[in-house]
Amino acid sequence: MPDGNSAARDEYVVQMKKITKVYSNGVAANQEVDFNLHRGEIHALMGENGAGKSTLMKMLFGLEQPTSGEIVVNGEVLHLTSPSVAISHGIGMVHQHFMLVPSLSVAENMVLGMVPQKSGLFIDKAKAIEITKEYSERFNLHVEPEAKVMDIPVGMKQKVEILKALVRGAKILIMDEPTAVLTSQETAELFVELKNLKKQGYTIVFISHKLNEIMEITDRLTIMRRGRSMGVYNTKDVTKEEISRLMVGRDVVLSVQKDKANPGETVLRVRDLEYVNEWNKKMLDKISFDVRRGEILGIAGVEGNGQKELVDMLFNFNTPNSGTATVNNVSILGLPQQKIRELGVSLVPEDRMIYGIAAGASIEENVISDRSADKRFNKGPLFNMKAIHDEADRLIREYTVLCKSRRQHVGMLSGGNIQKVVVAREFSSNPVLILADQPTRGIDVGATEFIRKKLVELSRSGIAVLLVSADLNEVMELSDSLIVMHNGRIAAYFEDTAGLTDEMMGEYMLGLKEQSKEEVRRVCHDEKTPA
Amino acid sequence: MLNFLKILATPEFFYSIIRISAPILFATLAAIVVEKAGFSNIGLEGLMMFSALAGSLVSYYTKTWYFGLLAALATGVLMSLIMGFFAFKLKTDIILVGVAVNMMGSGGTLFLCKVITNLTQGKAMASTTGLITKSLCIPDISIPLLHQIPFLGAVFSGHNLLTYLAFLFCLLTSVMLYKTPLGLNIRAVGENPNAASSVGVSVLRIKYTAMAFSGLMSGFGGAFMSMAYAQGWSLDMVSGRGFIALAAQAMGGGECLGGMLSALVFGFAQALGIKFSAIGLDSNLASPIPYAVTIIGLVIFAIVRNNKIKRQHSAAALAKSEAK
Amino acid sequence: MTKRRQLKFTMIRSLVAICIALLVATLLILISAGGDTFQEKLQATGEALKQMLVGPLFRMSQKKGTSFEAKRLADILAAMIPTIFTGLSVCVMFSANQFNLGAEGGIMLGAFASAMTAIYLPMPAGVHAVVAVLVGGAAVALIMLLPALLKTKLNVSEMVCSLMLNYIIMYVIKFLMNTYLADKSRGQIMSYAFQETANIPPIVNNTVFSGAKLTWGFVIAILAVILCGLFMYRSRWGYTIRMIGINQDFAKYSGMKVGAVIVLAQVVGGFLAGAGGGIEMLGRYTSFSWSALPGYGWTGLTIAILAGNNPYMVPFAAFFMAYLSKGCDLMATYAKVPAQLIDIIQGVIFLFFAAEQFLSKYRQKLVVKSAKEEIARANLQKEG
Repeated sequence: MPDGNSAARDEYVVQMKKITKVYSNGVAANQEVDFNLHRGEIHALMGENGAGKSTLMKMLFGLEQPTSGEIVVNGEVLHLTSPSVAISHGIGMVHQHFMLVPSLSVAENMVLGMVPQKSGLFIDKAKAIEITKEYSERFNLHVEPEAKVMDIPVGMKQKVEILKALVRGAKILIMDEPTAVLTSQETAELFVELKNLKKQGYTIVFISHKLNEIMEITDRLTIMRRGRSMGVYNTKDVTKEEISRLMVGRDVVLSVQKDKANPGETVLRVRDLEYVNEWNKKMLDKISFDVRRGEILGIAGVEGNGQKELVDMLFNFNTPNSGTATVNNVSILGLPQQKIRELGVSLVPEDRMIYGIAAGASIEENVISDRSADKRFNKGPLFNMKAIHDEADRLIREYTVLCKSRRQHVGMLSGGNIQKVVVAREFSSNPVLILADQPTRGIDVGATEFIRKKLVELSRSGIAVLLVSADLNEVMELSDSLIVMHNGRIAAYFEDTAGLTDEMMGEYMLGLKEQSKEEVRRVCHDEKTPA
Repeated sequence: MLNFLKILATPEFFYSIIRISAPILFATLAAIVVEKAGFSNIGLEGLMMFSALAGSLVSYYTKTWYFGLLAALATGVLMSLIMGFFAFKLKTDIILVGVAVNMMGSGGTLFLCKVITNLTQGKAMASTTGLITKSLCIPDISIPLLHQIPFLGAVFSGHNLLTYLAFLFCLLTSVMLYKTPLGLNIRAVGENPNAASSVGVSVLRIKYTAMAFSGLMSGFGGAFMSMAYAQGWSLDMVSGRGFIALAAQAMGGGECLGGMLSALVFGFAQALGIKFSAIGLDSNLASPIPYAVTIIGLVIFAIVRNNKIKRQHSAAALAKSEAK
Repeated sequence: MTKRRQLKFTMIRSLVAICIALLVATLLILISAGGDTFQEKLQATGEALKQMLVGPLFRMSQKKGTSFEAKRLADILAAMIPTIFTGLSVCVMFSANQFNLGAEGGIMLGAFASAMTAIYLPMPAGVHAVVAVLVGGAAVALIMLLPALLKTKLNVSEMVCSLMLNYIIMYVIKFLMNTYLADKSRGQIMSYAFQETANIPPIVNNTVFSGAKLTWGFVIAILAVILCGLFMYRSRWGYTIRMIGINQDFAKYSGMKVGAVIVLAQVVGGFLAGAGGGIEMLGRYTSFSWSALPGYGWTGLTIAILAGNNPYMVPFAAFFMAYLSKGCDLMATYAKVPAQLIDIIQGVIFLFFAAEQFLSKYRQKLVVKSAKEEIARANLQKEG
C-alpha cells in the first residue's frame, strides 16, 4: 500500500530524507524518518504521544536541527536554522498553544513584527485592518480585525494564527493538533477552510489522533511509532482499523509478574464529575468510577481526553463544576493538599519537575516534604536529624536511587532517579490510595521496571492504585481492570485486562467504538444490582 | 477646620500639587513602560539621584542649564543600560540590580559630589546647593494669556518647563505605547515574548529600549529635583519618589492616565502635608502621608483587581453552567 | 560537579567579584586623591588603599611602624552587631522568596521600641535589657504582619509595601520624638537617658580595648546566628520556608501551609531586625537620638547576598563589610577620600554576587571537566 514514488519527483514540495534526531540527553526522537509532501495536499501525521511527530515538524519549522538527514523544499536543500528561515521559504506553523498577544487586537497580532507605518512613526492601523480584512476574505477565514484577541473565541484565535502564517507568505502550513481545542462546530468550520486553502494550492500538514477527522479531510497520511515512520498511505486506501493497528501497538512486551487481584472495599469513589474549561470545552463529562483496595485501576487514552483534568480535580489543583469524589467516604474535592494527604492519598504527578521535586534541594529534603511535621522526625522544636538521615538512607536504598549521597541536589540526578525520589516519597507515606499519573514517562528502562514492580507490590499489599498512563504497555500490563477515556468520557471499562488486545484498545482510544452506559457503569462496583 | 479648608482652596495649593506631582509622574512613566515590557525597575530612586547630581554639577560647570539637563538625561540612560546589561546578560535578578543602584544612589552620589567638588572647588562639599543659582536652574514658564486668568492662571501658569514636559510626556508615552510600532512591540514582548520572537521581534532589544526609556524619564525626574524643585543636589533628596512611582504605576493600572492621576494623588498628599506644617502641625506627622497613601492605594487597587478577577470567574462559571 | 569543585568555583567567583569592586574603588580613589602630578596621585592612592585594606586592624605610623591594634578589631566586631541581625533578617525573608526590604525601618523601630522600654518601664537589672530587646523585636514582628498579610491575602507587592513602611516608621518616630518624647533640657533632639538597668554591659573591661565598646550584644548576635541557622536548617519551619523559596508549587503539592509560612518568614525576619535594633541601641547609646534610617538594613541585604542566604555565613560577610566600612572611615580620616566610597564598593560587590551568569563560562568548563572525569571513572570501573 505504501504509495512509493508514483508521483514525479518535482511534485514534492517538501522532502525530508532519512531524518534522525538525537537530543543531547541521548533520546533518539526520530530514526531515519522519510516524510514528503505533495503540493496542494492535506497530509496527516499520526502517532501516539512521544512517537516523534512534534520533533519531526519542529525540524521542518527550524525550531530544531536534524542530527542527520536532509530537508529539501521546492527542490532546494535547506538548512533551516530558525523559524524565520523556514518562514522565508514559505513554511508556516500553527502552534497548539497560540502564539498570540491577548491584549492586542487581531489586526495588531497579524502585523506584529512587520507593522505598516504612516508618517514614518505611527502604526497605520487602517492599513493593518485592511491587510487583515483582505486576507480574511481571500481565504474565507472570518475574523474581527478590531477585536482584542483575549475577547474572541478559540476558533477565531486559530484563524488568526492561520492568517498570520499566510500573511507572511506561507505556502506550507503545519497544524499541530488544531482540533484539540475546538468544539465540533468550530472543527467543521475549520475543515471547510482547510479544504478551501487546499483548493488554492496550499499544502497542509495535519497532526492529529482523531481518526474520523483524518478520514474526512486528509489525502495521505504518514504514521509514526516510536520515532520511526510506519509508512505513507493514501487515506482512501486504508481503513480506520488498519490505522489504529499501525499507530497503537506494543513493540516490546516486558512482563511484570503479578498475582490475581483480590479487590476489597471501595477506597476512591468518583461520581458524575464534570468540568468545563475556560474555553467552554467540556473536558470531563460525568465521570464515575471506583477504585478498590488491592487493585490497580488503569486509565488509558490518548492524552488530552480529560485524564489530566481528572487528576487535577482529585488533588485540588482545580475545581470541578459538579460531581463528588470521596476517599473512604470523606469528600476530597476542594480540600487543601495537606488534608488530602492526611486521608492517605499519594500523588505521583505528571510534571515531576514542577510539582514532584524541589530541584535545588537535597534528596533528603525532597523525600521528607510531606512528612516534615511528623512526630518521628521532630524532637521538640528541632528536627530529629538522625531519624531523617535514616529515613532518607532507607528510601535511597530501598528505591535504589543512584546518587552520591542523600545530600546531593535532586536536580543533578538523571530523570529516572529523580522519579525514583518522587515515588520513594509517595509510596512510603503509608497511603491508602496512590494516584500515579504517567509514572514512568521519559525515564530509563531500569527505573521504569522498578517503579512498575513497586506499584504492583503495593497494590497487592492492599493499597488502591489509580494508574493514569498514555503508555499502552504500562496500563495494559499493570492494571487489574481498566478504563479507556475518550473525549472526557469513559469510553470503555474492562473488568479484567486479560485477553485485551492492542487492537481493541486502539478502537476505544481513538473513538471508533464506545461501550453502552450500562457497561461503563459496571465500574461503580457498589451500584451493581444483585443478580 | 473651615479655616483650614480655606487655605486649601487657594490657587497656590493647587499649583503646588502640580509642581510636586511632576517628578513622581516622570518616574511613574518610567515604571509604566518597563512594566509593559514585562519586568520592573526598582532602581528609579537611585537613577534619579545620580541624574540629579549630574544635572546640577554640569549645569554649574557649563554655566548653562540645558547642558545640565542633557547630562542628567545621559546619566539616566547610560546607567539604565548598564542595569540592563547586568539583568539581561549576566542574569542578575532585576530587583537586586535595582537595589544595588539604589544603594549606590544614596552614599555613592555623596561620594561623587565630595570628590568632584574637592577637585574643582578645593573643598569637599556635601551638596551642590551652594553652587546652583536660580539662573542655573531650569526656567519657569509663564504662559501668555493663561497667566492673566484669575485662579486658573495662578494654578496652571508659571510652572517649570519640566512640569509641563512631565504632563506632555504622559501624553507622548501613551501615544508611543499605543500608536507606534515600538509601543506595539513593547506590549507584545511584555505579554507574550514567545509570540513576539516567533515573528522576528528581538525581545532583548525591546527590553533594552524600555530600560533606556525608564532611564530617560528618571533623568528628567532627577533634573527636576536638583534644578527646579530645589536649587542644587543634596543627599537623599529624591526621598522615596522612585518607590512611590512603582506604587503609582500599580495603582494606575499600568496605564499613563491612571499613573498620572495616581501621581497627582501623591502630589496632593504631599502638598497637604506641607500645608499641615504651615498651620503649625509637625511636618514629621505630615511627611509620611504620601507613603501611607501609597499602601492604602495599593490595597484598594488589589481589592478592585481581585473583585474583577472574581467577577470574570463567576462569568466563566455562568457560561459553564449554560454550556451544560 | 563535585562538592569541592563547586566550592572552588564559589570562592574564585567571590574573589573576582571583590577584586573588581576594589579595582573600581582604586580608580575612584585615584581620581579623588590629592597631588599635582600623576606620580603624587599614585602615591596618595597607595597610601589610601593601605589605610583601607590594612588600617582596620593595624595602626600605621611613621615612627612606630605597623602594629596590631585591638581597639580597631573591637570596633569592627561591635559594628557587626546590628548588621548581623539585619543580615539574618534578610536571609530568612529572602529564603522564602519574599523581597521584603523592611529591615531598614525594622531596625529603627526596634531600636526605638527598646529605647522606650528602657526609659519608661522600670524593671530589675538583667531582666530589663532582655525585655526591652524582646519588645523591640516584637514591635517589628507585628509591623511586618502588614506586608506579609497584604501579600498572602491580596497579592500586594511586599517589596513596595515594606519600602513605604520604612519611610512611615522613620517619620512617625521623628514626630513622636519631636513632640512628646524629647528631653527638652538637651541641646538636640534626643530622649531621656535609659535606665541603667537596661544597659547591655561590655564583655571585658574597656581599658583592654582602649575605650572600644564591645558589649555582650556581640555574643547575643553570634547566638542569634546559631539559633537562626538551627531554625533554617534544623527545624520544620525553616525547612518549609526554604522549600517554598525553592519551589512554591512543590511546597503546596507536598501539603505545606504555604500562606502561613510566608507570613511566618516575614514575622521572624521582622523580629530579628527589631531585636538587632534594640541590642544596638542599648549597647552603644545611653539615649535615643536617631533621626534618620541608619542604613543597616541595606548593609544587611548585601550581607545576605554575600552569605547566599545561609545564616552561618552571615558573621563572615558582616565582618567583611564592617572591615571595609572601617577601612573607608580610616581612609576618610587619613587620606581625605570620602567615606561614602563604601556605598559604591558595596553596590558593585552586590551586583556581581547577585549576577547568576557572572563567570558562567568558567563554571561550564568545570562542569564539563567533572562530567568527563566521571565518565572516565565509570569506564575504568567497567574495565576493572
